[in-house]
Amino acid sequence: MNEERSWSGLAEKVLPALSIVAFIGAWQIFVDYNKIAPIYLPSPLAISEALLAMIGDGTLFTNLGATLLRIFAGFALAAVTGIFFGLLMGMSRIVARVADPWIAALYPLPKISLIPLLIIWLGTGESYKIVISAITAFFPIVMSTYAGVRQVDRGLVKAALDLGANASQAQLTVVLPGAIPTIFAGLQLGMGVTIILVVAAEMIGGSARGGMGSLLIQAGQVMETEKVFAALVALTLMGAAIMKGQQWLDHRLAPWADHR
Amino acid sequence: MDISVENVTQIWKSRNGSKVTALDQFSHQFKSGQFSCILGPSGCGKSTLAQIVGGIEKATTGTVSIGAADNPAVTSIGGPSVMVWQSQNLFPWRTVIDNVAYGLEMAGVSRAERYERARVLIASVGLKGFESHFPSQLSGGMRQRVALARALILDRPILLMDEPFGALDAQTKIVMQEELLRIFDETHKTVIFVTHSIDEAILLGDEVIVMTARPGRIKEVLPVNLPRPRSVEMIGTPEFGALFDHAFHLIRDEVTKAMAEQNAAAGAKL
Ligand SMILES: Nc1ncnc2c1ncn2[C@@H]1O[C@H](COP(=O)(O)OP(=O)(O)OP(=O)(O)O)[C@@H](O)[C@H]1O
Ligand SMILES: [Mg+2]
Repeated sequence: MNEERSWSGLAEKVLPALSIVAFIGAWQIFVDYNKIAPIYLPSPLAISEALLAMIGDGTLFTNLGATLLRIFAGFALAAVTGIFFGLLMGMSRIVARVADPWIAALYPLPKISLIPLLIIWLGTGESYKIVISAITAFFPIVMSTYAGVRQVDRGLVKAALDLGANASQAQLTVVLPGAIPTIFAGLQLGMGVTIILVVAAEMIGGSARGGMGSLLIQAGQVMETEKVFAALVALTLMGAAIMKGQQWLDHRLAPWADHR
Repeated sequence: MDISVENVTQIWKSRNGSKVTALDQFSHQFKSGQFSCILGPSGCGKSTLAQIVGGIEKATTGTVSIGAADNPAVTSIGGPSVMVWQSQNLFPWRTVIDNVAYGLEMAGVSRAERYERARVLIASVGLKGFESHFPSQLSGGMRQRVALARALILDRPILLMDEPFGALDAQTKIVMQEELLRIFDETHKTVIFVTHSIDEAILLGDEVIVMTARPGRIKEVLPVNLPRPRSVEMIGTPEFGALFDHAFHLIRDEVTKAMAEQNAAAGAKL
């Protein structure tokens, strides 16, 4: 019994890593054995060589840095405006009523279809990439902030008023913290779409200052497939690191939300 | 402070438009410095009554006025009363000490002072050492004691207690009842105490208001003339037994009626 438990515990820790190693190994063998041309499917070894070369000559970090900067700028813009309007909607019926048809109309619109318009208005520079990602991330953030405020337990608000809080104290000490777990969930969704939109915008706009999206497109156009894969690996790791960091921050800022 | 409840009727409207009459023309004078217990079957409107008295909910019709007979005021939330909620309503994002100190914080009391006072209250409900726990890390009984401390710290003249000891184990309940009796003897607050327990109602109260099944009306008001200070040992005395028997017969009829009604309602739905 005990032995079984420890075996399954060990398996739980080791198997996920093992599955990745096995997958990469199988990929290497498959490519080597079938002599697949590297422009179709480069081997993991070739990809890691390309990745190391990109790290060595600095192309990875300049491009990754440019992309990260745009992601954080777009996300910050969306977070500030989204939380602000979400709180406003949650706390004022009038604002919610006015905002409702706008959100209902704009939310289902695929924001990526605004790219041509934004390029006409803003050109293909930094502002267009930041604005398109911020517009996209704004919606999940504003919606979940609004929902978060609305689902706050009314009993808690009544308890606060009964204990002597005035209306604005109750908003600040009950409604706001009560909405925080939902707001954080919205911020995570928002971060996810920000990453997607920044990279997509870089692919379409191109840029003198680089970025992972334009790196991908350039490598793709000249069939440097191992560079494409290396960029994808870097993007995957970047996305995972951002998401993990965000979860860690949420936990630090709202420790009560995990265990309720 | 006297509390005068006059012809209070409460009709709740649910989302689907159906109406529930929770209280029907309820009138009672709660006298200053008295401990009144409210006993009645589930769903008869006890919590509703306590919330209307506290100004937390507004009655559909009828009035609640509070204060000396020559100068009564309409009840209002955050006024002279404070509620210990049946569902506790603790703030999940605040630790025990910050929950207990909440009222003082809103009143602008300095951090050092409110923590000092909160620590005393937390110790008096037996939760020393749990100051920095979150409510989710406590048992149901511990949460009830936090809710009690959070209300007591404000030292308001009227205490509204909605089944505050319902989730406590038998032993802790006795300790908390004796603590409440001690506080009552010292401060002579006006207390309205909702309970399901006949023993508890007689042990604590100067009067026991037995309510009918929904819609809640007063079935009978039982004066309890046991001497104070009270103690749990009194439960064995013949006087206590006589009061218990009387209350038990009243409440048994009402509970049977309430259950029959619920079954009928369920049958009608099928
Ligand atoms: N906020 C509300 N909205 C709608 N209906 C309500 C509300 N509060 C109570 N009710 C209804 O009013 C009736 C009385 O409820 P109340 O909570 O006062 O009963 P209670 O006597 O406290 O019951 P219990 O002993 O189970 O706590 C119930 O039928 C309940 O469904
Ligand atoms: Mg109740």
